[in-house]
Amino acid sequence: MLEVDGLVTAYGKIEALKGVSLGVERGGITCLLGPNGAGKTTLMMTIAGILRPRRGSIRFDGADLVGRTPAQIVAQGVALVPENRLVFPQMSVRENLLAGAYQRSDSGEIAADAERLYERFPRLRERREQLAGTLSGGEQQMLAVARALMSRPRLLLMDEPSLGLAPIVVDEIFRIIGELNRDGTTLFLVEQNAHKALQVAHRFYLMEQGRVTFSGTPGQLAEDEVIQRAYLGTRRAAV
Amino acid sequence: MDDHWVGVLSNIGVMSFLALSAYLLLLTGEISFGQQAFFAIGAYAAGIGTALWGWPLAAALGWAALAGAAAAVLVGLPTLRLHGLYFAIATLAFAEMVRILFEMWRYQVPIDGELLGPDGADGFRGIRYVFESNIEPSQYLAIIYALLGAVLLGFLLLERSRLGVSLRMIGEDPELAELNGIPVKRCKVLAAGLAGSLAGVGGGLYAHLTTYVEPRTFDVMLGVHSLAYGLIGGLGTALGPVIGVAIDISVLESVRMFAGYRMIVFGGLVALLLIWRPRGLLDETVVHALKARLRSACRCVWMSARVGETRR
Amino acid sequence: MIDFVQNTLDGVMIGSSYALLALGFTLIFGVMRRLNLSYGPTIMIGAYLGTLLHVDAGAGAAAVAAATVLGAALAGVYVERLCFAPMAAGAGIASMVSSFAIWMQLEQAAILVLPRHTYAFPPLAAGAPLTLGPFLVRLDHATMLIAAAALATGVYLVLHRTRFGLGLRAIVGNPVAAHLVGVDVRLSTLAAFALASAVGGVAGYLVLAVDQQVTPMFGMWATFKGLIAMMLGGLGSIPGAILGGLLLGAIEAHAQWYFGPHIRDLVTFAVLFLVLVLRPTGLIGEAPPAEAAAYGRA
Ligand SMILES: Nc1ncnc2c1ncn2[C@@H]1O[C@H](COP(=O)(O)OP(=O)(O)O)[C@@H](O)[C@H]1O
Ligand SMILES: [Mg+2]
Repeated sequence: MLEVDGLVTAYGKIEALKGVSLGVERGGITCLLGPNGAGKTTLMMTIAGILRPRRGSIRFDGADLVGRTPAQIVAQGVALVPENRLVFPQMSVRENLLAGAYQRSDSGEIAADAERLYERFPRLRERREQLAGTLSGGEQQMLAVARALMSRPRLLLMDEPSLGLAPIVVDEIFRIIGELNRDGTTLFLVEQNAHKALQVAHRFYLMEQGRVTFSGTPGQLAEDEVIQRAYLGTRRAAV
Repeated sequence: MDDHWVGVLSNIGVMSFLALSAYLLLLTGEISFGQQAFFAIGAYAAGIGTALWGWPLAAALGWAALAGAAAAVLVGLPTLRLHGLYFAIATLAFAEMVRILFEMWRYQVPIDGELLGPDGADGFRGIRYVFESNIEPSQYLAIIYALLGAVLLGFLLLERSRLGVSLRMIGEDPELAELNGIPVKRCKVLAAGLAGSLAGVGGGLYAHLTTYVEPRTFDVMLGVHSLAYGLIGGLGTALGPVIGVAIDISVLESVRMFAGYRMIVFGGLVALLLIWRPRGLLDETVVHALKARLRSACRCVWMSARVGETRR
Repeated sequence: MIDFVQNTLDGVMIGSSYALLALGFTLIFGVMRRLNLSYGPTIMIGAYLGTLLHVDAGAGAAAVAAATVLGAALAGVYVERLCFAPMAAGAGIASMVSSFAIWMQLEQAAILVLPRHTYAFPPLAAGAPLTLGPFLVRLDHATMLIAAAALATGVYLVLHRTRFGLGLRAIVGNPVAAHLVGVDVRLSTLAAFALASAVGGVAGYLVLAVDQQVTPMFGMWATFKGLIAMMLGGLGSIPGAILGGLLLGAIEAHAQWYFGPHIRDLVTFAVLFLVLVLRPTGLIGEAPPAEAAAYGRA
């Protein structure tokens, strides 16, 4: 569904992605693991069109996404739940969801979708008129996911959804990830929680220092090794 | 050198003090719209020193520096807790208060049968120390640039000192600096005091250059100009603000061919320059590259000297 | 007591135009997180366009008003393209200084076209003042207040009831997230700039029509009045901008009445200084950390 090939993205002179190639299969959950600074967020931001790659291609259902604006990419059916959630703090929960549907013009359907999301996230319904900035971290994460879903994505990208959340909330997030996938959404997930990620993933990639260093299915690599490499990178793990 | 250029160069030198004052605060990450207040305080203080109290110029300038620093520390203490636009506007409000107070302040003393001293909005006339001491304009120019040279040398030493590194770190990221044990608040107040004394000396030199000062000279436009100089010349080195002043005053003064279009051309050029170089001509990257080249050149000279020695 | 109420009344009416100036300012600041020093001069350019039509073609009040607003919006677009759009994130100070350079440019352009120091500006509403019990209300002041209230309401509705407004508020909240939900941030920012400048244009028109004269210095006046009102009320808040403007008007009216024009300005700046030092967020405003972080440090 998504094919990334030879992607190079740089901040000034520093290349954060040094030729990344990977694929995301339709209907599955694909996980990207790797230590801090590996370039995972950079990859997500490049796919979403926030960052422009130097080289390489990103094909989504055959269409090239490179050079498109973030708005066009959302319209194509790719939505990103960003790292650190980035909800609109001064807007209510309801308005945040409305903003998620910014690309759409079918207002009747938008209201119905919001209603369905309130079913899935009852906490959000309780707090629909509350300002998003006053929600707890877990609630903000739910809101960020719901907001992304409001654009009716075929591919949902998630950047470290469990970052900084209590274990019980992390469980909840992963339960939702499983549900979304069962309901037909393809997911591409960046995680630091390797244990959790390997439980849900159909396929996973390891990324270190701007390069993909492993790709396979859970079980192909011992979980211990994955965890070591995902946290520490190959170099230090080998010591 | 003809008188016109002596005048232009003197102006550049004097304004450089004000620009360096704003630059010093900019290094710590703070935008001040109010350095002209300390410039004004210095101008009045030094003028009173020589014209009313009969002090020599050096003492008057020292007194101007002290007055500028004291005022800056006094406003710095409550305002430096603020950030960004809040600090900028607080300094603006303070500077406008100072200007208005000078417009209302009368302190006149009969000297040789003539009333001298600050006379409200009419300003302070008759600061004639330089003229009366038979100092030639070119000699006064030398005094200005000797002091400016000393200040630039001071900046050079500051850049290499722990304080200088701390200031830049605070400018980059105050929280991180705090975490690294840098006393952020104290460093900022110190920087504000130094900046105030720089502006004070500049004001003192200005008063003696023009022989009179008017409160309306020290309005916000002067403050914004002094801030702009650093961004035009470059934030990478203390030479930047001086270059910014030189570009503004000399280029603008000498480009007479544009006549009524002068500001249209100049304003547009500055806007384009800032698109091209958002941190000015001599920004950190350029300065870094220049230093590296200078260093390798020095090393070359040194090496060849050594080679010559061993041959001998 | 009668004086006090009358002064407050006068101050609030004048303050309604300050409130509009602050509203435009805060709109730009909210979306850009940068200070547009050229805000006043763009309004002045609009006013000069109106004045040109008035002087050269004898245009009436309505045409002058339309030209002022349109001219301000166009000048605002020019400033956005030159000083804001090309600057990368983190170059906030460069944008500010650049907008100052363009201020100088706009001022000289105005002087080139209309070189006299002052020009007459067509008045707003002539007629005998209204009496409200013991109080007098100038007709043009009343018109100003009503127009300002209507426009502020309009801006509020645009921000809270339209898709464009939703996008703008998303940008104010978090520009990256706004991109991610599909807001065309560049276009919306440009439109916000034009809208804010047009709002400023209305404010400028009202002030000038009451004063019945215009000078190139109006640009500086408008920038600083708008800035002071915005900071008094609190950055990034529409109610704050309105409150700040009305308050500034009232403070000025009282101080002028009791102490005269010199002390009036002193009092204004003293109040501003104290508000900033004692309540850095302004009277109603967002928390400073977000602002400080987003403002782009030197
Ligand atoms: N805005 C930026 N400017 C410069 N360098 C950056 C920026 N963002 C990230 N980087 C650098 O790019 C590399 C990859 O970062 P990132 O994609 O955030 O990694 P991850 O999400 O895997 O932790 C890191 O070395 C980081 O320091
Ligand atoms: Mg990351």
